[in-house]
Amino acid sequence: MIKLIWNYENTMPDSSLFRSGTVDVQIAHKAFAGSQGKLLALTNILLTIDPGEFVCIVGGSGCGKTTLLRIIAGLETDYAGVVALDGTPITGPGLDRGVVFQEHRLFSWLTVHDNVAFGLSRLPPAERALKIRHYINLVGLNDFEYEYPHQLSGGMSQRVAIARALVGSPEVLLLDEPFASLDALTRMRMQQEILRIWEAERTTVVLVTHDIEEAVYLADRVVIMSTQPGTIKKILPVGLPRPRDRADREFVRIRKSVHDEFFDPGTIAPMVPNGSRSVS
Amino acid sequence: MSTAEQNRRLVWKRVTESPAKPTSPSGRSAGGSISSLRSIRVPDQLLGWIIPVSTLVLWELLARAGVLPPNWLPAPTVIARTIYELAVAGDLWRHVGITLGRVALGFLLGAAAGTILGGLTGYASLARKLLDPLLQSLRSVPSIAWVPLFLLWLGIQESSKIALISLGAFFPVYLNLSVAMRHVDPKLLEVGRLYRLTSFQMVRRLILPAALPEYIVGLRSGLGLAWMFVVAAELLGASSGIGFLMVDGQMTGRAAIILASVILFAVFGKATDWMMNAVGRKLLGHRAR
Ligand SMILES: Nc1ncnc2c1ncn2[C@@H]1O[C@H](COP(=O)(O)OP(=O)(O)O)[C@@H](O)[C@H]1O
Ligand SMILES: [Mg+2]
Repeated sequence: MIKLIWNYENTMPDSSLFRSGTVDVQIAHKAFAGSQGKLLALTNILLTIDPGEFVCIVGGSGCGKTTLLRIIAGLETDYAGVVALDGTPITGPGLDRGVVFQEHRLFSWLTVHDNVAFGLSRLPPAERALKIRHYINLVGLNDFEYEYPHQLSGGMSQRVAIARALVGSPEVLLLDEPFASLDALTRMRMQQEILRIWEAERTTVVLVTHDIEEAVYLADRVVIMSTQPGTIKKILPVGLPRPRDRADREFVRIRKSVHDEFFDPGTIAPMVPNGSRSVS
Repeated sequence: MSTAEQNRRLVWKRVTESPAKPTSPSGRSAGGSISSLRSIRVPDQLLGWIIPVSTLVLWELLARAGVLPPNWLPAPTVIARTIYELAVAGDLWRHVGITLGRVALGFLLGAAAGTILGGLTGYASLARKLLDPLLQSLRSVPSIAWVPLFLLWLGIQESSKIALISLGAFFPVYLNLSVAMRHVDPKLLEVGRLYRLTSFQMVRRLILPAALPEYIVGLRSGLGLAWMFVVAAELLGASSGIGFLMVDGQMTGRAAIILASVILFAVFGKATDWMMNAVGRKLLGHRAR
């Protein structure tokens, strides 16, 4: 098999003419009603994600990564700002976006096949069967089509969740720490898998992680978020060709610069009790 | 050698030196010399039979020896013969049929009402706020306490019996379905939202399948209560049914008939529960509990 090396820098300009999947995020602030008044989860988020781009969002826990992803998914609609997909403001969930959560959230009463089919709206039976088969193959679960979720390992369950998110051919795939609960080896294999799937499907991908190496391994651009309040600290492009070598000097350098962004003294949030958030 | 290392060696020594004993199927390792009973190799199911079987044998022997008065506790073989004679010559099947019919009708009505109201209150919070407090307070009335009212309203005939049985079957079905539907994992409901399911699809494709295991548990306990209430209803006044046989046995002082009826209730109760369980397992398919 010929290994596809897909370089974002080279292919982006012309292919973007034919594809949709632009995500435009402008969030002034997003607050939750907490026990001690309002809790500011996000402020000042400005981010444009190009069609077919692979963006990773990294940040410590509680910096609002999940909230940001849920806003793009349309699951959170109560915020100040506008988030648009291909120029149309997002007002709720839609089949143009596929979502994979940290937990697989599969339906225990459905087989792998039927879990994947769950994400498919009405289609002629033949086309429907073809699509389901295609995505089950894509995530490498052909032999497990009629198994139930409790018979699958964590990695396999996440593959099913990815197939379910992709089967409706969404323009954007949103993943919230999808590999966080997997062991290190499975996680690395899943990272390769998600790249392969992305290369095959060419959807826009937004993947949230707290793993810096994962972000640098996967992303075209790494969005670094800081806590209290949750906002974008820096956006770093990763210009390396794929497949990337984690031991490569340039890879290590980029990983270190992301790392340094986190531990830059200016951003270390003081340890304060929840609720009384001081902004540095 | 470090202390930890020494300990480990000690443990290892002890393990290897202890006489190799087969472990029981449940994974319990046979205890050392504390109790020799524990190391007898008998399958667990067989163990459960020892006491009942020896009791039966003892009972039979004592009854035959005339130690137990026959009009008080007849021998197991006498009870078996009573059942056999009732089946061959008497109208055992008519009584069994009538009792089964009552259980079936009462259970179906109660379960249907429980399903409708449980589904309603489980899905719509307005229905829950309107109905649940009332139903919960009715539940705290011991169901037998309704008997005089049912008799007054419905008479001594079938309807009052069916009403009582339905009432027994209703509550577990209602409660289990209502609670299970309300407690479907919100994370799964969110997946439904992502795929823009309509309210109807949400119920049919997500809430009902998710609530199914609890619902089946409710049906099973409803059926159990239906059997309990059929006994009560038939004891309180019936001219047919297994409960009537019991009352008849009591009136005529024939303990064998009473005990035969007890056994019939047990056998048919267990049989219907087994059937319900089989249906439930079929419905649940291969999914994990
Ligand atoms: N539904 C909610 N209600 C109240 N507070 C919330 C809710 N969801 C998130 N938060 C708060 O918003 C902040 C950001 O949360 P989240 O987006 O989950 O962060 P992350 O995914 O980066 O760990 C946290 O302080 C969290 O407690
Ligand atoms: Mg999160």
